[in-house]
Amino acid sequence: MEFVWTAVKALLVVVGLLTAFAYMTLVERRLLARFQHRLGPNRVGPMGLLQPLADAIKSIFKEDITVREADRLVYLLAPLISITFALVAFGLIPFGPEGAFFGLDPWVLDIDMGILYLFAVSEMAVYGVFLAGWASNSKYSLLGSLRSAAALVSYELGLGISLLAPVILVGSLNLREIVEWQAQNGWLILWQFPAFLVFTIATMAEAARTPFDLPEAEQELVSGYNTEYSSIKWALFQMAEYVHLITASALIPTLFLGGWHAPAFLPDIPFLWLFVKMALFLFLFIWIRATWFRLRYDQLMRFSWGVLLPVALVWFVVTAAWVVFKGGVA
Amino acid sequence: MSLFDLVAGLLLILTAVAVVTLRNAVHAALALAGNFLVLAAVYMALDARFLGWIQVIVYAGAIMVLFLFVIMLLLAARADTGVDPVPSLRPFAGVVGVLLLVGLGYAVTTFEPVQSLVETAPLLAGGTAQVVGEALYGPWLYAVELIAVLLLAATVAAVVMVQPEVRRPRVKPQVAERERELEEVTR
Repeated sequence: MEFVWTAVKALLVVVGLLTAFAYMTLVERRLLARFQHRLGPNRVGPMGLLQPLADAIKSIFKEDITVREADRLVYLLAPLISITFALVAFGLIPFGPEGAFFGLDPWVLDIDMGILYLFAVSEMAVYGVFLAGWASNSKYSLLGSLRSAAALVSYELGLGISLLAPVILVGSLNLREIVEWQAQNGWLILWQFPAFLVFTIATMAEAARTPFDLPEAEQELVSGYNTEYSSIKWALFQMAEYVHLITASALIPTLFLGGWHAPAFLPDIPFLWLFVKMALFLFLFIWIRATWFRLRYDQLMRFSWGVLLPVALVWFVVTAAWVVFKGGVA
Repeated sequence: MSLFDLVAGLLLILTAVAVVTLRNAVHAALALAGNFLVLAAVYMALDARFLGWIQVIVYAGAIMVLFLFVIMLLLAARADTGVDPVPSLRPFAGVVGVLLLVGLGYAVTTFEPVQSLVETAPLLAGGTAQVVGEALYGPWLYAVELIAVLLLAATVAAVVMVQPEVRRPRVKPQVAERERELEEVTR
């Protein structure tokens, strides 16, 4: 029975994420338009609310092309890998206390090594990127995909090391326990601001957002690994990217901003506060996209290896010393 | 033997066979990545959960990615199907394989555990990060330090091997240019 409910919740999360992705594209276009003093899509449906539906119908009925020179199996596999590993990361995030979801737990999985799970999943997502480039059998796609994959792997490292410090402070790899720790000792952003900074920047790079969106820059190297894809397969790559973004905007509050707990003395309401924080971060990401320039590829890599990684390492050592000599926060 | 054991064992064997038989190197590497994923699941089923996650992150996520990078960059996906350098290698490998299988069968059928698994299970404590950490930074600290040195040596070795200018003293391009000009003048 437990298993069935987990499966149902997993299905709900997938459907929810896909809807969220569709409406994120609309929200992003509308907001970008606002930032540039114009209106976004507002013709299809009231306030453009049916635009995502129209886009989806279009991309489903579009001819699904398989490039003749492509490696059939891998060409098909790459978008599936991308979307699968993007979707499964979200199930770990707790949206409330036990039993807050109509008597069920408001998370899909509760893994005691949750953070390792997140890393494993986001590393496997790299496969989708460079298999797509290779399977397309175009050297431009291949170069684009290798660049993206190298960047993803580099930022993954900064991501991992930035999380070491909060983990030794909290003493748990479980997301739920990290949230509970924050409810008791104050949000981790207060104790772990450098880690928060590194983590946020690295997740932005992981989701390939501006200023790190060079892999899919339209003007650069024929836009990277998904050049040879059309119709639903191309949509799957876009989907994966937005799902990454949504997961990131839920993960950052969960790890550093108290998760589903309310700020200050406001009442704790499950779901609500985490959604508010997610919306905040999504808005922030779109804002950054609207206002920032893009890094060059060499700057992108130098920033990862030369700035993020050393900062994360030094902060990790500082926190470790703090926990050993002062006993941490307690 | 549970259903999981059966499925995981079959998947492990199938992917391993695919790794050695597939002609396309990228397909073989993907099969190996799949093998690592199943192996991680087996580790977790055997109460070595931390090891399982590390297996996914390091082997499937980092090492196989590196392998695939090299295969793709060298455009080496197609196997080299030229003349066999060692004649009649296949029959020979088959004989060795059968011998190994017989030996393995003998070992499995005559194996008696020194200590029963039920007794040792509490010691493993689910193989969590905490248990592994206490072991690594306790009795195995010396080994951890040695591995750190090994990794450093590997990094330095990789850099020296791929970058020829590291071996030679570094000369600024301007200086090199000037030296070449001087050489021409003296000639």
